[in-house]
Amino acid sequence: MVLRSLCVLRAQAAASLSGLPAALLPGGSGLDLPGSGLVLRSLSTDVFQNLALEDWIHDNVDLQSRSILLLWRNSAAVVVGRHQNPWQECDLRLMRRSGVPVARRRSGGGTVFHDPGNLNLTFFSSRKNYDRARNLRVVTGALRALRPGIDVRATDRFDILLDGHYKISGTAAKLGRTAAYHHCTLLCSADRALLASLLRPTCPGIHSNATASLPAPVQNLMDHDPSLTPESIARQLAQQYLAEFGSGGLSVVPVQPSDQAFAGIDRAAAALRGWDWTHGRTPRFSVDAALELADGAAAATASVRLEVKAGRVEACRLAVAPEWLPGGPPARLAARLLGARFCPSEAAAVAEAFLRAEGGGATGGGATGARLRARLGDLCDKMVALM
Amino acid sequence: MAARGVLRCLSSNFLSVLPSIAPSVQHSPRLLTSISSFQRALATSSRLSAALKFTDKHEWIRVEESGVGTVGISNFAQEALGDVVYCGLPEVGAKLAQQDEFGALESVKAASELYSPLTGEVVEINTLLADKPGLVNKSCYTDGWLVKMSIDDPAELEALMDEKAYERYIRSIED
Repeated sequence: MVLRSLCVLRAQAAASLSGLPAALLPGGSGLDLPGSGLVLRSLSTDVFQNLALEDWIHDNVDLQSRSILLLWRNSAAVVVGRHQNPWQECDLRLMRRSGVPVARRRSGGGTVFHDPGNLNLTFFSSRKNYDRARNLRVVTGALRALRPGIDVRATDRFDILLDGHYKISGTAAKLGRTAAYHHCTLLCSADRALLASLLRPTCPGIHSNATASLPAPVQNLMDHDPSLTPESIARQLAQQYLAEFGSGGLSVVPVQPSDQAFAGIDRAAAALRGWDWTHGRTPRFSVDAALELADGAAAATASVRLEVKAGRVEACRLAVAPEWLPGGPPARLAARLLGARFCPSEAAAVAEAFLRAEGGGATGGGATGARLRARLGDLCDKMVALM
Repeated sequence: MAARGVLRCLSSNFLSVLPSIAPSVQHSPRLLTSISSFQRALATSSRLSAALKFTDKHEWIRVEESGVGTVGISNFAQEALGDVVYCGLPEVGAKLAQQDEFGALESVKAASELYSPLTGEVVEINTLLADKPGLVNKSCYTDGWLVKMSIDDPAELEALMDEKAYERYIRSIED
C-alpha cells in the first residue's frame, strides 16, 4: 500500500480554521485549493453540532465545481430521518435513562444508531453531480483496498452489505437549491447490544404514515477483521475519495464546528437539539394502547386513544370500566392532556395538577375515597409510562 | 387583477406556439383548456383556469380566480424525484417569503426541499397526500397540488417563468 505524498505545508495552511471557511465560500480568496475534491474531518463528537456543520457546508460552500467528503463520528445517539416518528423508531424512555439523545436529520431515510464505533461520511456535490453509486464505490473500494477479497456490495437501496447479508452501511440524502449531500454510516465497532436495545418502539399501538425504517441484521467490520478500525478506514476512505474526485494532494483537513468562523452553527445546532425539531416535527400519529391497572389483587384494563400532532396531544379518549373508576375523572384527565407535549415530564406535570384538583372533594372521604384516589394515581402513572 | 393579466399572457403564448388554431381562440380562453399539447399544464376544471408560472426550482404556481395561488411541482421535477413516499408540508397559517424553504418531498432518491414561489401565507394544504403521496407523481398539475397560499405581492409573479420560458429552461439544463 503506497501512501500518497501529502502536501504538508498546504495542509497546515488549510488547517488554519478561520481561513478554511473563507476559502470555500463563493468568491473566496486566500487559499488556493488545488483539485476539485476535499476531505474534511470534524473534531466534534456532538451529533447536533455535526448535523449543523453538514447544513452549514451545504448552504455556504460553493459546491458547483468542488466536491467535499466530511468524515465524522458521534457519541452515542439515535438519528431518525426527516419524516420519521421517534416514538415508533426508538425506545425514548430507555434512551432518556441511558443519556442517549435522539436527533432528526434533514435528509430522508430510516433510523440509525451512532456511536464512536460508527463512521459517518457525507458526500457534498452540486445537484448535477449527485451520484450515490459513485460515492459508495469509494467506500467499497476503500474497504477492498484494506482487506482484499472482502465481500462488500452496495444494494439498489444504497445499503452496503457484508457477505451479502449483513448491513454495514445505510444511506440518506438531501437535495437542496443548487447542491446536494449524500451521507451514509459505516459500522466499524459500534455497540451492537445498545443498538438493538434502543431501536425498538417506545410504545405499542402507534399508527402513523411517517416513513418507516427497514430493520436489517447488522455487523461490525472490526468483527470481520480487527484491522478495520474507524481510524484505518477513515484514512483509506480519504485516499480513495481524493483519487476518485481528484485532488492536488491535500490531506484530510480537521474542522472544529464551534470555531466562530462557521457563523451560525451554534444557533443551528441548538435548533436541531430542540424538542420542536426532534419530536415536534413528527408527522401526525395516533396511539391505541391498553393500560394495565392494578389495585392490590384487583386489576382492570383502560383503553387509551391519543392523536398526536406536532408532538402534542390533539385528542385523547380514555375508557375505564365504571366499576373500577367513575367516568368523570378519566374524562377530566383526558381533557387536561389536550395541548400537552406527548412526553412523560409534561404528562407527569399535568397528572400532578389533575390529582391535586381531584383529591378530597371529588373522590370523597374514607376508605372508598382513598381507594379511588389510589386508582386514579395508578391510572396517571400508567398514562405517563406510555409516553 | 393578476389572474386576468396571466390569462392574457396565456392566450398570446398559444397563438405563437400553435399557429394552426383558429383566430377566434383569442376571444375564448375557455377553448384553450382542450388543446392537447398543453393539457398536462392546465387544470381540467370547467371554470376558467389561469396559466402556470414556474420557478427555476421547478415549482409551479397557478393563481385562481379567488386570488389564491395553488402550488405544486412540475412534471420535470416529479420525474427527476422518482416515487414520492412522503410529503412534508407546512402548517396552515405558515408565512412564507419568496424562496423560503417550506417543506420537503421524500422519495427513494432523497429528501428534496421545496421553495416558496412567492411571498404569502399558507391557506390550505393537500391532505390527500398524507395517504397518497404518489399523487405528486401521477398528477403533478392537478390532484397532486401541494399547498395553496395567499399572494402578498402579485408583482413577484412577473419574475417567474411562463410555460414557454420554462420549457426552454428545461431544455437548457438537460444539455
